[in-house]
Amino acid sequence: MIRVEHLNKTFRQPDGSLLTVLHDVNCEIHKGEVISIIGPSGSGKSTFLHTLNMLEPPTSGKVYVNGEDITAPDYPLAKLRHKMGMVFQNFNLFDHMTVLENITFAPVKLLHLSQTRAEQEAMELLKRVGMVHKADVYPATLSGGQKQRVAIARALAMHPDVMLLDEPTSSLDPTMVGEVLAVMRGLAQDGMTMLLVTHQLRFARDVSSRIIFMKDGGIYEDGTPEQIFEFPIHSATKAFVNRIKKLLFEIDSDDFDFYEIHTDITRFCIKYNIQAKAEHAFTLIKEVLFLHTRHIRPITVRLTHTEMTGVTALDFMVENLNETPLTDADRVKIRPQVNDIIEERTTRGFRVKLLI
Amino acid sequence: MTRFEVDMMKRILFLLLVCLTACTGRKAVEPHSEAELAGLTVACRNGSHYQTMLEQRDDIRLFLTNNDPDALLAVRQGRADVFVTDEMLLGEAEMARWGVKKVFRGEDSYPICFGIRKGNDELRRSLNAFLAATPVEAIVSHYTHGTAAVPEPPYEVNPKAKPLRFVFTTNMAPVSYMDEDGKWVGIDIDLIRRFAHRLGRPLELHTQALSSALVALQSGQCDLIASYLELTEERQQIIDFSLPYYDVYPGFFVLDSGANESATMRERVAMNLKTENRWMMIGHGLLETILITLFSILLGSALGCLFCRAKGSKREWVRNLTTLYSGFIGSMPTLVLLLILYYVVFARTGIPATIVAIITFALCFASSSGNLFYSSISSVPKGQVEAGLSLGFTRMQTFRYIVLPQAMKKGLPAFAGDCVGLLKGTSIVGYISIHDLTHVSDLIRARTFDAIIPLLVATVIYFFLAWALRKGIGLLMPKDLSTPSKS
Repeated sequence: MIRVEHLNKTFRQPDGSLLTVLHDVNCEIHKGEVISIIGPSGSGKSTFLHTLNMLEPPTSGKVYVNGEDITAPDYPLAKLRHKMGMVFQNFNLFDHMTVLENITFAPVKLLHLSQTRAEQEAMELLKRVGMVHKADVYPATLSGGQKQRVAIARALAMHPDVMLLDEPTSSLDPTMVGEVLAVMRGLAQDGMTMLLVTHQLRFARDVSSRIIFMKDGGIYEDGTPEQIFEFPIHSATKAFVNRIKKLLFEIDSDDFDFYEIHTDITRFCIKYNIQAKAEHAFTLIKEVLFLHTRHIRPITVRLTHTEMTGVTALDFMVENLNETPLTDADRVKIRPQVNDIIEERTTRGFRVKLLI
Repeated sequence: MTRFEVDMMKRILFLLLVCLTACTGRKAVEPHSEAELAGLTVACRNGSHYQTMLEQRDDIRLFLTNNDPDALLAVRQGRADVFVTDEMLLGEAEMARWGVKKVFRGEDSYPICFGIRKGNDELRRSLNAFLAATPVEAIVSHYTHGTAAVPEPPYEVNPKAKPLRFVFTTNMAPVSYMDEDGKWVGIDIDLIRRFAHRLGRPLELHTQALSSALVALQSGQCDLIASYLELTEERQQIIDFSLPYYDVYPGFFVLDSGANESATMRERVAMNLKTENRWMMIGHGLLETILITLFSILLGSALGCLFCRAKGSKREWVRNLTTLYSGFIGSMPTLVLLLILYYVVFARTGIPATIVAIITFALCFASSSGNLFYSSISSVPKGQVEAGLSLGFTRMQTFRYIVLPQAMKKGLPAFAGDCVGLLKGTSIVGYISIHDLTHVSDLIRARTFDAIIPLLVATVIYFFLAWALRKGIGLLMPKDLSTPSKS
């Protein structure tokens, strides 16, 4: 359905230098596919998406939609875009129109639907995204998740053949991400062709038929979720999908600010959507530091979370220690509170890992 | 309010007035010769030859005013002891009305002539011949002393002949003024009318400030000018004069303390509005103000759109042009710009003052409205344009349906404010003798010496105009945007 050949995109910086955002990108997208584009920030994912509907014309290269070269100079882009729905990271709802008007506006003006028909369809769509009760309010009164769901409905109102979603949940509070992902899951299940730039790796794995990993302006790997997540070929891919988020504390003496640690832990957990574990992690740290390793200073505490696997671990590392600081009594106390205790020697010393 | 309360208010106000006049601290003086003027403050019109005459004396303090009526006002307000003006301007009736009396007549008279374009000898000879054959003194006496009107010989005017264009520069009895029926009468008007009849040509009357009239004469926009035109050497260099048709003596006047001139409010309103159909003058002034304001806003906004486009141009030099323009226009007072356009740029063209005024205000408004349009449009988040385009709207459609309504919501209140600012700014056009609302009310003030009523009327009318303007612009607000958004 969409074919991309040798796509290049460079921007001229204010200081005159050139920034290459996309470099020789080639890709084919077939009807019915749900493709997630993942990769580190600045890898050109959003720009790539924007070239597909020519919101960002490429510097060189061609894009074919259903066989037609849309990069050709006189190509009627407005018509093309009727069939390509786009959802933005910043929602971009029309602030001066109600939710209903946002959705009916394009169909009435561009598809020449009657107002009644457009409203009927709009209400159906609102039902689908769960926003019927907010049909007559203005976007400013909605939460982020609600706005994004309306934006999805707005894009769907034009009956597109393909939906382009540019980091739809990146601007959202973690509490609202779920509702939007649910809508998107529904779309995929209904057979919509979707291209989705996202950081939600778990979701990408569950919902996509295909994953594209981009880095530094190019496509590194392109395959099924299994291929990408279980058996990545490039080391860059491997590093990305397994990336670990971590938080480090160096405890030198008993005078440390533990309210600050508490705040940092809470923030970390909220950021990675594991709020439930924050208190638990903090209690554990206090217990281990004051009870079980009271005499051992300096000691490094590390909180890590791997999104892909959902594993959260608390590491307590001591340099120049050859054996475990824990006694059996300690283990008895700790074991019920955690999923597992791993005690192992490292190159620098010893590490006690608690999985929570 | 009850009758009693009204009376009490009047009494209190009167007492206040008396105290105020008493507080000015001027003793009543009565000099009876030019020598006795020593040590006094004398008021006279700026630029009159009385000024030159009195300036030479060290023992007199000179108080200069813009025109003769203001000199009289200066004495009434206690800012001067004596004022000097042309004796014939104040007859018995006038003196009684304004509460002044003549103390003596000056010694040196000066001649009054008509002004003709330099080199127009044929007209000058014709006019001089006419003046020689006409009983000028009798006509003058009719207007100054109310003697019998002088009959006119039969005449025939050829409507197809080239009209005689006459510009007069004073609106004062007995020289040139409007009577109760709205007709222009007076010594100068009468004489010129007779002259035109004798020539068999239709007569066109215009009134302008002296400086504008001189320019008009030199450029050929008119044939004759008059109204207290003194023959001076300076003037002789640029225009020709007819033979003098009367001599004017200076009269020195002081406040007549015996006079009782508290007019009732009703009389004052009547004087200011009814006499000489002054309410019609106000009506014309109002129309003029509305005309200038509306056309300036329209033209200024159109230019403002151009400015806005230029400001958002991809080319840097175009953007720089707009900054230059803004800086230039914004750095000079509108009045200075108006005077430059009227007296320099459009001087020799036949473009009427009203058009020059509209151009001036439009140029200023273009800069302010252009900047406003630009910032309103820029304040609409770019993402909305992206969303519009992604749905399939063209750039034009995106602008029209998505950007413009939101830009208008943000910018319309400020735009209305700018328009009202322009409305108020049009009050300066009196400087180029356009009879707008402000100028007209000031003219009435000059004639009636009553500042409060005409200016109050003008203020009320301006309030109403500003209100109407805001309401009108409010109608432009796109629908459904009246709901305030919760941010």
